[in-house]
Amino acid sequence: MLQQEETEERLRPLMIRSLEGDSGAHRQLLGMLGRYLRGYFARRIGAATAEVEDLVQETLLAVHLKRDSYDRSLPFTPWAYALARYKLIDHLRRRSRSIQVPLEDAGTLFAAEDAEEGALRTDLDRLLQRLPDRQRTLIEEVKLQGLSIEEAARKRGVTAVSARVMLHRSLKWLNQVLRDENG
Amino acid sequence: MRTADLIELLARDVRAAPPGVVNRKLLAALAAGGLVTLAIVAAGLRCQPLLEAAQQPWFWMKAAYTGVLTVAGAIIARRLSIPGARIGAAPLTAAMVVLAMLAVGAGQIYFAPPAERLALWLGHTWKVCSPLILLLAIPIYAALVTAMRGLAPTRPALSGAAAGFVAGALAATLYGLHCPEQAAAFVATWYTLGIAAATAFGGLAGSRLLRW
Repeated sequence: MLQQEETEERLRPLMIRSLEGDSGAHRQLLGMLGRYLRGYFARRIGAATAEVEDLVQETLLAVHLKRDSYDRSLPFTPWAYALARYKLIDHLRRRSRSIQVPLEDAGTLFAAEDAEEGALRTDLDRLLQRLPDRQRTLIEEVKLQGLSIEEAARKRGVTAVSARVMLHRSLKWLNQVLRDENG
Repeated sequence: MRTADLIELLARDVRAAPPGVVNRKLLAALAAGGLVTLAIVAAGLRCQPLLEAAQQPWFWMKAAYTGVLTVAGAIIARRLSIPGARIGAAPLTAAMVVLAMLAVGAGQIYFAPPAERLALWLGHTWKVCSPLILLLAIPIYAALVTAMRGLAPTRPALSGAAAGFVAGALAATLYGLHCPEQAAAFVATWYTLGIAAATAFGGLAGSRLLRW
């Protein structure tokens, strides 16, 4: 209980600063959340399961895209926990449905089981290849070359606003595809 | 992509988010859906003579019943759209209001002369009342569920039921502009049934629609 209060005291200010547009606070918040999520999912579905890291990424993406649903007058940890739990339940629900496919497919389902801890079954980079060229290049420049949105936008000859919109749309799209892939 | 890279990417997508987005999204959806339903009531069904009706207690009795349920339902739907938020006392309030209405309706039947009881209960429009409320709830439900998908309901079926309840209650309120029925027993039965149907269908659809 005390530990949760401490976590709350550390995370909530970060979330509030993130909502005010502080990307450093956002980065720090997601980093800390990621470590908690990894532990939580590992306990629930097995530490060596390849889906753990997938779920961590899917949940971080959801935390990012669903920031609007956080009410600043409420504590942060229950919000984050409810989101993580939802992602886990959704994952298990989809997984138990896929067990009902014919027996010959069982091999494919369990093929990825021997992956190392922290390994990914679904590679976001691979998914991003499916994006239209303009969006993909933008993401690659931001991610690989570490450019800011403004720099990448200038390089591409688009306005910073439209680059932002493009990035945000790509992330939303990624969230959708990731969910379908992990099912 | 490593998780650290993903976080880096997400940090680039940070913009200031104004507070109160949840309320604004939900209220905008209620307004948009409500206007469509209001247009259908006004243009399709026609309102009763409102100036005269507004002088009658029964007109306000109906509006108060469905209006209170709309507000209680909106509070529930809002809480369900926020992960980890407690639902609170609104469902209890809504249940008490429905029970009170049922009691008043039953009392009215009980104290009425036996020969008039059936007419009080069925009115002239009992066959169409609940189905019409259910149909009128559709635009509101659609708008509300779209808004809720943009938030983060973690209990899809329950959230869908709450959206259906709000849609049904608001649709019933607007339907009251058309419906000239006056008996409490009528409202307690057929209005409530329409709202209950919207809640049930809302839950069924929500369990599919409200996943993200």
